[in-house]
Amino acid sequence: MTDLAVRYKRKTPRHEVEVSAPQGTVTHVHLPDDDAKAHLVTALLKARCEAGEELELFGEPAATAAPQRRESLRMRVGAVSPIVGLMSNLNAWENISLPAAYHGTPPLPDVVQLASDVLTKLGAEPDYFFARLPDELGLLERKMASFVRLLVVAPELMVFDALEDGLSHAECRHVARFEAEYRARQPNGTVLYVDTREDS
Amino acid sequence: MLQALREMEGGIQLSLNVAARLPHLRRAPILESFLRQVYFTGVTAAAGVIPRACGLGVIIIAVMINMLDADVDLAVKILLLLVFREVGPLAAAIVVILRTGTAVSAEVAMMRVSGQTRALRYLGIDLYDYLVLPRVAGCMLATLALTFYVQFLAVLGGLVLSPFIIEASFWELTNRLFELFTPVDFFYSTVKSLLFGFAISACCCWHGLNPPDLTNNAVPKVVTKAVTQSMMLVLLINAVFAYVVFGILFFGLVKANV
Repeated sequence: MTDLAVRYKRKTPRHEVEVSAPQGTVTHVHLPDDDAKAHLVTALLKARCEAGEELELFGEPAATAAPQRRESLRMRVGAVSPIVGLMSNLNAWENISLPAAYHGTPPLPDVVQLASDVLTKLGAEPDYFFARLPDELGLLERKMASFVRLLVVAPELMVFDALEDGLSHAECRHVARFEAEYRARQPNGTVLYVDTREDS
Repeated sequence: MLQALREMEGGIQLSLNVAARLPHLRRAPILESFLRQVYFTGVTAAAGVIPRACGLGVIIIAVMINMLDADVDLAVKILLLLVFREVGPLAAAIVVILRTGTAVSAEVAMMRVSGQTRALRYLGIDLYDYLVLPRVAGCMLATLALTFYVQFLAVLGGLVLSPFIIEASFWELTNRLFELFTPVDFFYSTVKSLLFGFAISACCCWHGLNPPDLTNNAVPKVVTKAVTQSMMLVLLINAVFAYVVFGILFFGLVKANV
């Protein structure tokens, strides 16, 4: 039996949400509304569930996890999501390198290399990109910066929250490469695409 | 009442957290943020607002010397007692509240309201480490530096200006000042300005991190509350500190040489 990276269940009077994502796979989840989506992404990022929710991350129930264990579970999850925005007073490079600079790993020269490689593949000019503040970046570029910042952290579970929201068709082709870039660096990682149903 | 108690408890917790995290100041992004804070609070203020505040202080000294019909002794006592010990740290603290207190509380509240603090937490970055520690440490250091700067400029200005008002030479006044000056005056204003810097920044950070709600309307409310409480804290510290040092605690041991 394949191990699950995520098992999530939430029951409300209006609907019931169940999500399971086996480790190392790509899973698409369409949720009934934005509220359900926000609940799921927040639960994953916090490694914590509220009343009416059940969450298991990498086989561990989040509800009973000790604070330190929960912290280590949280570090294994990352999300490109409006919930996890960029710091408005730091430029793109400072945003991308912030987790590495704070935690002291990976070394900053490696971060420069990784970020430059990925940004070049995604069609951006790294030096110009790095120098700009989030307010000077477009929506696609902000998503790119968030994505590269996460690649530096290398989470085992990558959540793409409404990745194509607000983007043009041409821009959607850029974000479609995110998964391949993540997979190239994290072959055993799990990818979870989260979106709301178009008819809702 | 409950709110006041909550704020006091929060302030104490924040202070303990900052003290426990001082070694984290070596981490690159925290050190960078600390240096930015020192630059913003200390260096940029030193170039603009402080010289003007000192000029105003010098004029007040001149008026007081003239009004009191002071001789050399009284003029020097005014400079030492009033300017060096009290007005210097207070003037620096007021400038820090108006420039840095408002900026820190608004910035942190804006980060809280816009969800940037949440993003930091999800990245495993501690808010006390990244937001509070560099601001508090930077503000303390910058307040101390500004205090020395204000004291130097205001006392020097007083010494230069006084000979035009009373019958005493610059050197006469300077010699008398050094006779009366004791290390206690220096330590007193040093510790007091560090306390001022700490109280201002801790108060502003706490209010920034605890806005009344998570809407944009909360930001001006936070700034108003942070500035008012910082001012009250500074005045309270000033009064209590003077009373403790020159009053009950070290009574008989610490004496000003005036």
